[in-house]
Amino acid sequence: MKFKASFTDDGIALLDKRFLPAMDKVGRVCHVYLTPTHAMLLHNLLGPTGTGPDGGGPQCVAQFAKDLLFREYSVSSRNGNRVAFAVDVALLHRALRSALAVHAQSPAAGDASAAIQVKLVNKLPAGSRSASPFLTFETKGARAAVVQDVPISRPLSRSDVERLQAAIDDAQELPQTLVQVPDLPQLQSLVDRLKNVGDLLTVAVTQYGDLHLHVATSLVTVGSEFRKLRILGVRGIAPGGACLTVIFQYFIPGTRLTDKSISFYCRLPVLDPGTS
Amino acid sequence: MSSSTSGRDDDAPDLICQIDCVHGMVDALSSVRWKRHQDAVLELSEHGIVVIVEESGCLQAKVYLKRELFMEYEYAAEGRPRFGLSLGLLVDCLNTFSAPGHSSAVEIRYPGPDMQLLLKSVGSPDSCMYAEIRTRIPDTISWDYHFEHAANTQVTFTVKSAVLKESIEDLEWPGSSIQIQMQPDPPSVIFKGEGHGDLEIEFPYYANTELLIAFQCDQEIAYRYKYKFLRATTSNFPSSIMKENRGSKVSIGNGGMLKIQHLVSVARPGMQYFRNVAGGAQQPSRIAYIEFFVKPEEDENNMNDA
Repeated sequence: MKFKASFTDDGIALLDKRFLPAMDKVGRVCHVYLTPTHAMLLHNLLGPTGTGPDGGGPQCVAQFAKDLLFREYSVSSRNGNRVAFAVDVALLHRALRSALAVHAQSPAAGDASAAIQVKLVNKLPAGSRSASPFLTFETKGARAAVVQDVPISRPLSRSDVERLQAAIDDAQELPQTLVQVPDLPQLQSLVDRLKNVGDLLTVAVTQYGDLHLHVATSLVTVGSEFRKLRILGVRGIAPGGACLTVIFQYFIPGTRLTDKSISFYCRLPVLDPGTS
Repeated sequence: MSSSTSGRDDDAPDLICQIDCVHGMVDALSSVRWKRHQDAVLELSEHGIVVIVEESGCLQAKVYLKRELFMEYEYAAEGRPRFGLSLGLLVDCLNTFSAPGHSSAVEIRYPGPDMQLLLKSVGSPDSCMYAEIRTRIPDTISWDYHFEHAANTQVTFTVKSAVLKESIEDLEWPGSSIQIQMQPDPPSVIFKGEGHGDLEIEFPYYANTELLIAFQCDQEIAYRYKYKFLRATTSNFPSSIMKENRGSKVSIGNGGMLKIQHLVSVARPGMQYFRNVAGGAQQPSRIAYIEFFVKPEEDENNMNDA
């Protein structure tokens, strides 16, 4: 089982500024899943049932084409050249940030030769008798080279990788009804403010392109309705036990074209499936 | 939601009004919100809306929202309807309307079918926000905050709001009771706190013309007030008061009743003209008046009780 790659500047910035902070908010631990074509950060996909986040908190899938994050990417294993392991998100983020700080001092920063390298290693930690797996970052600064080891779990077994892959396929299936909300900051600020009014948000999405959010308590009802949203998919009424899927679209910088090399899905368990 | 049962449907609601600047309204109401869960009484009239908040029988605050502040103000009630609601909820609800991108006007309507206060955004066809806030029959408000100037002479001073706030904050450490003293010779105002230590803050009238904008006092007067009530009068100022360099008027009335008045701008920033109910363009006077009344501490040592 081997993994070795160098980060691209855009890739490491994307992880540092956007994805790791987002994953950190959802949960402490995530799975890193590397395939010959993609690198993924996954949260909570191997829940109690392995299929849905029922009662087990939100699920997240962040998927990147390998060339977006890495140069000289190589991954190999006896399981279809796929590798997966769990890592503490905060530790991973800390290692990345300090690697970036060291890298910024390097006179050759920006050169491919000076890129931050990452690889999977087995090491004997101080004071231990058995070797443990680490994700190791190697950075060359102006005067020093810095090596950082981030402890990771034992690589997932063949069967767990299969379960992970199945859960990803399941999570990426298009939801029954899907509408496009044009203004993410507006939606975010609305939900942030609704949080002050109550804890439980009722969400309704209709096949006619309506999105309805409201919070109701014994003293107050506050809600917002968006109409005439772009309808991306309608395939009937969602079955019971469905979850709310939020798909974030990324644009190629400077354009309104969807960047297909990144995708980010979140699935939230439904607390009360409603009656109508 | 419960359905309407009375014959109300035929009648116009007591009040339908529209505001264009939710942010200003939030500022004005927040300045009398000194704790998270706080009840308020709203009184409607043909002149506008008065929001009244009270605590412990010692502190009362009023926000006056004149009808001129509204884009529309249709008042159809007889008498002056009053109802109670949670001030915190009202502010939090209004805040959801002020989300960036949601700059549309908000319609306020009372009563709803179940006596709720109804809020609704208007003017944006493809998105809409709404809120229904449950109201209750108001507690009887003690009306003995009646303010009268002592012996027909006003005892009052006007100071920059920012200076007043800073002074009151500085008085936090000495203790729970603060004396406010005004004297004609030399004309000055003295705040004195004694407790864990002593602290005296003096505003001399002649020393700095910037400090006291107005001063009126013909005999020495001094009363003590609970620190926590004094602090409530300035602790929740909106930042616009500082930015616009406003002044606050402080008066001491009969029996030591303290009245503090602030002005809070409710205009939409950067908006040059505003067409209000009267059809006049009058941006400059879009001000909500805020009044606090604080009763003095019961204390035999007061130098001058009538």
